[in-house]
Amino acid sequence: MASTSESEGQKEGDDPEDANKSNPSQDGTFECNICLDTAHDAVVSMCGHLFCWPCLHQWLETRPNRQTCPVCKAGISKEKVVPLYGRGNAKQEDPRTKVPPRPQGQRTEPENNGPFQSFNWGGDGGFQMSFGIGAFPFGLFASTVNLGGPRLPGAQPGTPQFEEEQFLSKLFLWVAILFIFWLLVA
Amino acid sequence: MDADKKRLQKELMTLQLNPPVGIKVNGDHGSSLTTWYVEMEGATGTLYEGEKFQLLFKFTNRYPFDSPEVVFTGTNIPVHPHVYSNGHICLSILTEDWSPALSVESVCLSIVSMLSSCKEKKRPPDNTFYVKTCSKNPKKTRWWYHDDKV
Ligand SMILES: [Zn+2]
Ligand SMILES: [Zn+2]
Repeated sequence: MASTSESEGQKEGDDPEDANKSNPSQDGTFECNICLDTAHDAVVSMCGHLFCWPCLHQWLETRPNRQTCPVCKAGISKEKVVPLYGRGNAKQEDPRTKVPPRPQGQRTEPENNGPFQSFNWGGDGGFQMSFGIGAFPFGLFASTVNLGGPRLPGAQPGTPQFEEEQFLSKLFLWVAILFIFWLLVA
Repeated sequence: MDADKKRLQKELMTLQLNPPVGIKVNGDHGSSLTTWYVEMEGATGTLYEGEKFQLLFKFTNRYPFDSPEVVFTGTNIPVHPHVYSNGHICLSILTEDWSPALSVESVCLSIVSMLSSCKEKKRPPDNTFYVKTCSKNPKKTRWWYHDDKV
């Protein structure tokens, strides 16, 4: 029994190094390279170095003519850093509303591998949809306009058939214009 | 706590817990943390083996975006082609090559390595002139970092 309590007593001894290691915030993996704290509003440079956006922003402002990575001296710029969004970030306020604003992530669309690729759910919950609209209204418009040109067999001016064709032509023209207008506004 | 103080506090803790070989930070810095004295020993197997030096660090509230002001102080100023007899050090990371990712520790290690690579103990050629004319703050000197050999 005595030996047990002795070894326990040794374990409880305050070894500063052990205390250091057991504290996750001391683990440098996700520490900002400038403030040495856990990076908040984190961004990563193209060379892979992690910073808080406010820290890096201040450094870039300090030397606007010579913007280099504090760690490896690689060229660096506001446009070329990538923000990191951890899971915990979702509920926090939008970092872009803060000053200085953190640059936005650039979302590259995946390559089109099939006909259904253009139909997707946006990552932020927004609904995105696209479909082919190119040929249809303009084809219609073109065929309507063509009515005015030489067209055989065509109805002679003055006949009821001519009136009807003129009416239909104008109707199609208006439908086409309205359709284009709708496309522009939508 | 301000960001600069927080970082200095962190650096101080790390240096006191895990000091690199031959480097020791003096414990008493007051509450401001803006002035540090660091004890430094010449590395074994170099011209400065067995010698003890003292560095004085001064930090502005723009640290770590601004480099610290670093000079040798005390009675023993190392005789070195990049160290003036008034303690000023010609080392590019202390001015134009400073980066906020550097730290007191990395500055100390750079200075140790600068001393260690020295082949001949001598003062800089312009020592007399510089010491007479320079500003008290070495950061105000327009250093000309032309000699990378030593
Ligand atoms: Zn930071
Ligand atoms: Zn880098």
